[in-house]
Amino acid sequence: MTSIAGGHGEPNPNSSWLSARGFWLAYFLGLLSIHLILLSVPFVSISWAWTATNLIHNARSLFAQAHLYFLHIIKGAPWLSIENDPSRRWTHWEQIDDGIQMTTTRKFLTAVPIVLFLLTCLYTRNSTEHFIANFVSLVVVTLPKLPQFHGVRLFNINKY
Amino acid sequence: MGNFDAFEQGLASPNGNGRLPNGHGCPKDSPSVDNQLKFSAPAYTEIRTRRCNAKAAAESKNASSSTYHPERKVLLNGHAAAAREHKSECKPNQAEGKLSPEMEHYQKTSFEEVPMHTACLTYLGFYLLMILGYINQLLFVPKVATEKGREGYVALYDAFESFYSRYVYRRIKDCWNRPICSVPGDELTLKDRVTDDYGWSFKFTGTETRCLNLGSYNYLGFAAATGRCADESEERARDAGLAYCSSRCELGNNAQLEELEKLTARYFGVEDAIVFGMGFATNALNLPSLLGPNCMVVSDEKNHASIILGLRLSGATIKVFKHNNMRDLERVLRDGICYGNTKNGGKPWSKVMIIVEGIFSMEGSIVRLPEVVALKKKYKAYLYLDEAHSVGAMGSHGRGVTDYYKVDPKDVDILMGTFTKSFGSAGGYLAGSKKLIDFLRTNSHAHCYAGSISPPIAQQILTSMKTIMGEDGTETGRNKIMQLARNTRYFRRRLAQLGVITYGHEDSPVVPMLVYLFSKIGAVVRTLTTRHIAVVGAGFPATPIMEGRIRFCLSAAHTKEQLDYALEVIDETSDDLGLKYSRKPRDPNPIEY
Repeated sequence: MTSIAGGHGEPNPNSSWLSARGFWLAYFLGLLSIHLILLSVPFVSISWAWTATNLIHNARSLFAQAHLYFLHIIKGAPWLSIENDPSRRWTHWEQIDDGIQMTTTRKFLTAVPIVLFLLTCLYTRNSTEHFIANFVSLVVVTLPKLPQFHGVRLFNINKY
Repeated sequence: MGNFDAFEQGLASPNGNGRLPNGHGCPKDSPSVDNQLKFSAPAYTEIRTRRCNAKAAAESKNASSSTYHPERKVLLNGHAAAAREHKSECKPNQAEGKLSPEMEHYQKTSFEEVPMHTACLTYLGFYLLMILGYINQLLFVPKVATEKGREGYVALYDAFESFYSRYVYRRIKDCWNRPICSVPGDELTLKDRVTDDYGWSFKFTGTETRCLNLGSYNYLGFAAATGRCADESEERARDAGLAYCSSRCELGNNAQLEELEKLTARYFGVEDAIVFGMGFATNALNLPSLLGPNCMVVSDEKNHASIILGLRLSGATIKVFKHNNMRDLERVLRDGICYGNTKNGGKPWSKVMIIVEGIFSMEGSIVRLPEVVALKKKYKAYLYLDEAHSVGAMGSHGRGVTDYYKVDPKDVDILMGTFTKSFGSAGGYLAGSKKLIDFLRTNSHAHCYAGSISPPIAQQILTSMKTIMGEDGTETGRNKIMQLARNTRYFRRRLAQLGVITYGHEDSPVVPMLVYLFSKIGAVVRTLTTRHIAVVGAGFPATPIMEGRIRFCLSAAHTKEQLDYALEVIDETSDDLGLKYSRKPRDPNPIEY
């Protein structure tokens, strides 16, 4: 499918679509809209702080799930790859910018969960159970983004 | 969905008068009656007098009648701007030595950036498509995706990998691969089809639609079923058969192919040339013969897949530089040459080659040839120029970008091109020094193993090439080149005046109009089809995700009336669909032809 119209397009568009113009804004808007939707679910409106807590927490861990799943678990690309190139066995995170570490996109995507975590701690007022849950999900999501973990598969999970 | 009257009418009207069944999703506008008339020359002039009356007052009448004259002196940039001399509108250009190549290029090219809100909406549109696609994938298994009788075998298609083609591409699949039943000249006849199951399968309705063709690579208008080229090709097919079915090294060689090679060499002003049966294979199979593992190749970011494939097959080290960016090219060359072959402990490369294309067909931009040649000489690299789209279409004599920039063709080491676009035929060629071509005759896989060009196809190339060179004794070639240049300038200026964003150089006959959103590509293609214009859309992953586009390919066969009609329709469509993104100031004066 990368050879639509006679062969245009780069060999792996998955590597660069995240760095196109407008992605950051769209990402924030998407995140914000999920947050607002969760905020407007009626049965959790007991108190404002508790609401914001749980919802950001849910959004956070729900989002960590989304983050985790799309970036780190799924390998290859969602269009038929006719070529036998290494990106078939790489997760999307590893494919960004064809494997170059510490580019702007990667820094942005690493920073977002961290900022979100800090905001969550702020709103939950550091209560213990929320903190533990958020911290665990933060670690799970940030570890694969470190440059040392490029291509590493712990315990052979997800190797092929 | 669809128009059921079409089914009942059956095979009634072969020229699509009034009934326009297309794939689902086309807007139900009811175009006025005069739009649905057949498209032969009378209809165009009729439309012109009725609709363009308001514009006719603005258009100076003498522009179309007296300025177009083949014997008039032509300016170096390849268009009859004689009419404009009195207005001193001739821009200073590099060939005349008034402006540096960099400044000229900068002045003539435009790659306007997308407005932020549109970019955001494009992303959100993709998110929505993806989410819907995932839900769709979870809940419904399409009937084509279930494999019968294959218990115990691994699935043929991974669900994730076929996600895009099944849930995103399929929704607007009716905009691509549309069957036609006429020769794709300046007009073509589309066979209408409808889909009952949302794009999984299509059925022909039996009617046809005659459309203005803005999607074919027909730059000089040689795609015709009648005329001298067609007659001579037919004769040749009767004399020599349809194919030799053998390689050039065995039984497939003949006098006609030798004549073709000599003519190609003479066309470009180089020593020798070699021709192949397939354009894609010319790149993909000759680059491995020319390059090997100890070579460095510097290739443009947006090179075609045939070049990329050839480079990967060759095993050379590929370094990519930003599209048409001379500073980046210099940086890459410098670093590559200074550090040597890093896989080999820093030893020098045996060859350094720069690979660029003449016109990049997805962007509509033209390579900055004088600067590339200057860099090539400075760093002692070879230059490979792929003129698939630019041969015949650029330059005052139709010889390609070397003619356009007045660069000596012997400065470019390897000139490559295809006969598919401007010559109305098929095949590819490589032209250069005799030593190079002799080497290729023995070492090229495409020459020794692939079949030779079929006789009527070769005859078409011969006839069209002689026509362009003027050797057939008429002025047809010259006229075609002039016509294409005028069409290009006119169309691009009018589009800029409308306010849509187009990419590329103002002299390239490939005009990509940006629509950004994926769904808008489908909307524009379908709307234009109902208005009898056939265009090609291109989206992700063939283009970057943000830049969905509609690509117009102009032709010398298009008349001004056809272009005016197309521009009107584009104007209305872009008003309806909100495509007028450009924030540049628009030229308020009417544009002359």
